[in-house]
Amino acid sequence: MSALLSVHGVSKRFGGLQALSNVTFGVGHREIVGVIGPNGAGKTTLFNVITGVYAPDGGRVTLGGMDVTGWAPHRICRLGAARTFQIGKPFAALTVLQTVRIGSLNRIADMAGATTHALGVLEQVGLAAKRDVEGRHLTVIERKRLELARALATGPSLLLLDEVAAGLRPPEIQEMIALVRRIAAGGVSVLIIEHVLEAVMRLSARIVVLNYGEVIAEGSPESLVNDARVIEAYLGEAYSLA
Amino acid sequence: MSARLALGLAALAAAAAAPLVAGQHLLTAFIVALHAAYMALAWNVAAGYAGQFSLGHSLFYGIGAYASTMLYLKLGLTPWAGMFAGAGLAGLVGVALALGVYRYNVRGIFFALVTLGAAEVAKGLADNWDWIKGPVGILLTMKSAPGEFFFLRREPYYYVALAMVVALILISLRLERSRLGQHFLAVREDEAAAEASGVDTQRAKTVAIGLSAALTAFAGSFYAQFYLYISPDTVLVFEPQLTMMLGTMVGGAGTALGPVLGSVLFSGLGEALRNLPFENTRPIVIGSKLVYAILLIVILIYLPGGLVTLGRRSRPA
Repeated sequence: MSALLSVHGVSKRFGGLQALSNVTFGVGHREIVGVIGPNGAGKTTLFNVITGVYAPDGGRVTLGGMDVTGWAPHRICRLGAARTFQIGKPFAALTVLQTVRIGSLNRIADMAGATTHALGVLEQVGLAAKRDVEGRHLTVIERKRLELARALATGPSLLLLDEVAAGLRPPEIQEMIALVRRIAAGGVSVLIIEHVLEAVMRLSARIVVLNYGEVIAEGSPESLVNDARVIEAYLGEAYSLA
Repeated sequence: MSARLALGLAALAAAAAAPLVAGQHLLTAFIVALHAAYMALAWNVAAGYAGQFSLGHSLFYGIGAYASTMLYLKLGLTPWAGMFAGAGLAGLVGVALALGVYRYNVRGIFFALVTLGAAEVAKGLADNWDWIKGPVGILLTMKSAPGEFFFLRREPYYYVALAMVVALILISLRLERSRLGQHFLAVREDEAAAEASGVDTQRAKTVAIGLSAALTAFAGSFYAQFYLYISPDTVLVFEPQLTMMLGTMVGGAGTALGPVLGSVLFSGLGEALRNLPFENTRPIVIGSKLVYAILLIVILIYLPGGLVTLGRRSRPA
C-alpha cells in the first residue's frame, strides 16, 4: 500500500504537556481511517499538525510523497488535504453558497465556474436548499454539512473530518455516515476523528487508537474492540460492537 | 440586475447634471461629500471587505497629498501623474507596513493600534521635515491650468471627484466578483477557516492593505489640488480617518454603495449646513454635530449593517 498520507514519528509539546509523542501511521489511497481516543488524547492536535496549523517539534508529515512538514495550512490545502473543524467555523456573514464557493476557488479560478462547482457540492451534501442562508443562521447539522461542503469543495484527495457526527441525533448520524461513504466512494481518502464510536466503527476499515499522545493500538474495528489496552484506555466495558 | 443598472445610470445622470442647478455653496458641499465617499470606499477595501480595521489610513492620505504636491513643486510633474506616483508610494508603504505587522501576527484591535501609531509617527516626521516645510505646510497658487489639475471654478473639481467615486464603485463591484475579493471576505470572517479553504491569508491581507493604501492616496492628492494647502495638521491627523470610518460604518461596511450613502449623509449634510447663508452659523454647526452624534448612535444600534441593510428583507434570527 503506497501511502497518500504518512505521519512519521510526529511529536508536539505544549509547555509541560506532551500532546503527541512519536506518532506514526498512514492513510492509503481510497482508504477510510479512523482516529479514536479519550478526551485529550491528542486527536485534534494530530489534525492540526497534519494540516499545518502547528509545526511538529519532531517527525515528518508527507502527503502524496511530498514532505509537507511545517507548511502553511493553505499550501497543504492546495496540495490536496482539506479538513473540517470540530467547532464549526461558518463564515457568519456569508451565505452557504459564498462559503462553499471560496472552497471551490481553491481549484477553479473563475467565479462562474466556482459557483457551478459549489452548487454541485451543496447538492451532494444536501444543503442546496440553504444556499442563500447566512452561516450564522444554520443549525448544528447544517453547520457540520457546511464544514464538510467547504472542505470538499477545495477538491481534496484526503479529507480530514474532525467530529462530524458529534452533537447529532441518531438519524442525523446515519445520514452523515451515508454521506461520508458516498464521498469516499468518489475516490477521496478520509481520515476521521470521532467520539461517536458507532460512526467511526462503521465507516473505517482501519482505526488508530491514541492515548496520551501515543498510538497504543492500530487495526480493524473488530480486532480493536477485543484489545485489552484499548478497552482499558477508552472503550470501557459498556461498548461492544455486537 | 438590469433594474439596478438603470437605477445606477439614473443616479449618475442626476449627479452629472447637479452642477447645472446647484450654486457654489451647494457645489462645495457636493464635492466634500464625493471626496468623503471616495475616501470611505478606499478604506472599505481593507476594513470592510478584508476586515483589516486600519486606523492609520491618514498616513496614506498624507502620502498622496505630499507626493503629488512635492513632485509638482520640485520636478514640475503634473499632479495628474503625480497622484499615481503618490498611489504607488502609498501602496508600497502599505505593503511594507502589512508585511511587518502580519509577520508578528498582530490582529484585531492591536492591528488598529499599530496602524494608528504608524500614522502618528508619520505626522511627527512630517512636522520635523524641512524639505516639505514642516508644520508650516505648503501653499499652492490658485490658477487656471487644467493640464496641471488647477481650476478656478468648482465644476471641474466636482466632475473629477464624481469620476473618482464612480471608478471606485466599479472597482469595488469588480472586487466583489473576483477570487481576490472572495479571499478578502474569507479572511474577514475567519482566518483559520480561510486557510483551510486554501486562502493564503497573509498574502490576502497584505494585498488588501496595499490596494486600499494606494486608492486612499488619490484622495490625498485631490485634497491638495482642491484646497491648495496641505500641512501635517490637515492631512496627517485623525480627521481623514474619521471621515472614512464614519461614512463606511453608517452606510454599510463591505458593500460598494454603503460608504457612498453614509458619506453623502454625514459629510455632505455637514458641509451644506455649515454653508447656510445665516449671519451666525455657530449654533447651527453645534446643533448639527449634536444631530449627527444622535443619528450615528441610532444607526449603529438599530442598523449595525449600515444604511444599505434598510433595503434588505429582515432575515430570521
